[in-house]
Amino acid sequence: MTSATPPAAPADNGPLLRVRDLAVSFDNRDGPRIQAVDGVHMTVHHRQTLAVVGESGCGKSVTAMSALQLIPRPPGRYDRGRMEFASKRGPVDLVALPEARMREIRGNEIAMIFQEPMTSLNPVYTVGDQIMEAVLLHQEVSDRDAFEIALQAMKDVGIPEAERRIKGYPHQFSGGMRQRVMIAMALACHPRLLLADEPTTALDVTIQAQILELLRDLRETRDMGMMLITHDLGVVAENADVVCVMYAGRVVEYANVLELFGAPLHPYTRGLLNSIPKLGERRERLLTIREIVENEAEFKRLPGAQGGIRPWWPWHDPPADLTPHEGPAGDYHLLEVRPEHWVGVWRTRAIEGHEGRLPDLSYRKPLSEPATGAAAG
Amino acid sequence: MITYIIRRLFLMIPTVIGISFLIFMLVALSPGGVGAALRVAGGGATEATNRAVQEAYLEDRYGLDAPVIVQYVRWLGRISPIKFGARGQIMPTGERVSAPKPLAEPWTRAWLGAPLPAAPRGAEPWKAGASAEEKSIAYARASDAYAQDRAAYVAARTLYREALGPYLRSVGLSGAIRGNRVRGSMLADHTPDRASAHWAAIEAAGARMLTSYQRALASRADLAAAFAARPFPQAGVPVVPGVVSVAWPDLGMSFARGRPVGQLIAAALPVTIGINLIAFPIIYMVAIPAGIAAANRAGRLFDVVSGTFFVALWSVPTVWAGVLAVGFLANKDYLGWFPVTGLHDAGADRMTYLPSPRGDGTWSMGYLVDYLWHVCLPVLCLVYAGFAVLSKQTRAAMLDNFNADYVRTAKAKGVEARVILFAHVFRNSLLPLITMFASIFPAMLAGSVVVERIFAIPGMGSLILEAINLKDRELILANAVMIALVNIMALLLADILYAAADPRISYS
Repeated sequence: MTSATPPAAPADNGPLLRVRDLAVSFDNRDGPRIQAVDGVHMTVHHRQTLAVVGESGCGKSVTAMSALQLIPRPPGRYDRGRMEFASKRGPVDLVALPEARMREIRGNEIAMIFQEPMTSLNPVYTVGDQIMEAVLLHQEVSDRDAFEIALQAMKDVGIPEAERRIKGYPHQFSGGMRQRVMIAMALACHPRLLLADEPTTALDVTIQAQILELLRDLRETRDMGMMLITHDLGVVAENADVVCVMYAGRVVEYANVLELFGAPLHPYTRGLLNSIPKLGERRERLLTIREIVENEAEFKRLPGAQGGIRPWWPWHDPPADLTPHEGPAGDYHLLEVRPEHWVGVWRTRAIEGHEGRLPDLSYRKPLSEPATGAAAG
Repeated sequence: MITYIIRRLFLMIPTVIGISFLIFMLVALSPGGVGAALRVAGGGATEATNRAVQEAYLEDRYGLDAPVIVQYVRWLGRISPIKFGARGQIMPTGERVSAPKPLAEPWTRAWLGAPLPAAPRGAEPWKAGASAEEKSIAYARASDAYAQDRAAYVAARTLYREALGPYLRSVGLSGAIRGNRVRGSMLADHTPDRASAHWAAIEAAGARMLTSYQRALASRADLAAAFAARPFPQAGVPVVPGVVSVAWPDLGMSFARGRPVGQLIAAALPVTIGINLIAFPIIYMVAIPAGIAAANRAGRLFDVVSGTFFVALWSVPTVWAGVLAVGFLANKDYLGWFPVTGLHDAGADRMTYLPSPRGDGTWSMGYLVDYLWHVCLPVLCLVYAGFAVLSKQTRAAMLDNFNADYVRTAKAKGVEARVILFAHVFRNSLLPLITMFASIFPAMLAGSVVVERIFAIPGMGSLILEAINLKDRELILANAVMIALVNIMALLLADILYAAADPRISYS
């Protein structure tokens, strides 16, 4: 396990974004409210990529969209929790921010890239207009200067013939080029935090590699923090510094990328990693996630299992010695099981008095060193 | 784009021809056929012979005696902007005249023996240096003379046919007379029985027919000479002189009113456009903001109330609403706030345009306000039903776009909700509204038959209704073709607007 702070890290004055006990629920006309996110903790530091991994519906996107208050309310609602963001004008709680102040942050200090480059651009405006719209909103510049900024942004993301293509409409761009436009638009105002919600899911593999490399370079040159939402563990291994695995609206495991890939502690994480083929390994068939999480023995391999610490798993009955806290998500705790390695566990008697600190990792993977032991995705 | 528009304009020609053919044939197929109203008018004469003469005259005058397809081709030739042969001339009344019509030959001339002299040459219509007025009078005289002589010939021919009737029946050839015509081909092989008791009457009528035929030929030659001497300005522009020219379509003369159809439309069209220019902006200015607001508050109170209200209005029949409006709002026994009919007060011609003080301290309403006051109820009846469709369309299009990914992108950029609503969502919702416009716009020129009828407004709706009631072929056809043209133009305009509104649509 290597958790040494890399020398290149900037003087760390706390995380850029610190999410604590975030809970978001949605109104469901025919039944109880749907708890999409329930007690999520995570942090993003400068020049760090936090990968949020999990299957569809686990609350990854809801967490990211909450940071910009993009959840439609109603039916959505922020039940509790904070999203502390170190904005240029001092720390703010993103989920409690009034709309007017939120607009100053959106696109300016926190930008977001979406999964669907095909539909995420407005078809009736030129890409130049759409990039300029963001620039003009947040920067005190003339139209002429905004055009230059937009042009430069397009050049920065590697769009060839930017001078000509800035006057083009989205439908004249390929999928990869549209995603570059989206990135140019997101980065035109030099945000401090970039939320990338499955930025490469809709793209083919070669374009995916280009886009991720571009995002990595830009993170370095722009000194941004980045939250990368994905369900592709190969992408995680390549790009992430810290990984946050989510399941059913909660964090099940949180560690730096080498630690997590090298020694996954939660059975679900192990299931995820085992379900991926590895280069140079012959197998009749791959294990499914179910085969692992339905195996009781897997849940007893957690350090401290003898002391009564059990990994949290929504499909299991809570252990007999559960001592839930009052209020929602009281049966669950994100416990630092090993130094700088957190696992979601049941709040049993063993936890009582040993809650420890909540996840906060400023770890950055050394640039030259690829994540060994990572699944070759 | 230009090429596309030009191509579309050329494609309109076969479309208009197809539409006009259908309408022409429908009129011809209807009971009585083309000119039924005229025949009824001719039927005013009590005696059978008189009626036959009258009918024959009218058929000849309006060319109704030719087969329907020939009539249609003739009509098409008049309506076509490309003319063949000698150019027409425009009389000071606005009527367009062309070279005199050819004269049909007498029937069974061989039976009557007397050979016809060669066609006479027309007399010189006027001396050199005659003034325009003199020429006009001379032409009118020649025209009247030909009309009279031709009518006399047609009458004599009809009487000849009547005289032939008993004889043909006696020799078993009664099928040779069909309607107003004698079928010469059936009689070509028949050797007439000059000893028949009917022969004296036939000979007498035949002699009168031949005499009147000769007279008609002579006056036709005079008129042809007068026409060739060009008493009036020529219509259109020559392309190949004497062969092909380009001129405004000649919409013909209304049977019922005896005035050029073009003039009738020119009088009715501004009335309809005037009312619709008030009504349509009201519909759009109410329905579109209401649709936007309803979409913005989908499912909430405003959405439900405005939707219910507009659909309720839409469900009220215009006939009933119009009658109620007249009965309650215009009737002096009730509120009496508005005038009942027409577009102007009786004294409107003496009013100033804007409101002005009278000498006695009261105010004269002025032409403009008087007009607006008169159109209040008609406009009310035109607009109330229009809100529902347009506002529902706007709402649906807006809701479609509200959930679009680019709206989320715009929000993530920090764009204000109001700007998102108009610059992003509404801008993308324009296409359905353009489609609506293409279907609504022609109605603007066609006028509302019901509303114009209730309020006695002399617009296009009234004109069309009158034309249909009287089976006024020229008027029906001119209106139909005009509406067809406007429809096609509106579709083209919509297609051009699509390209302007949506960069993904391109015609090049």
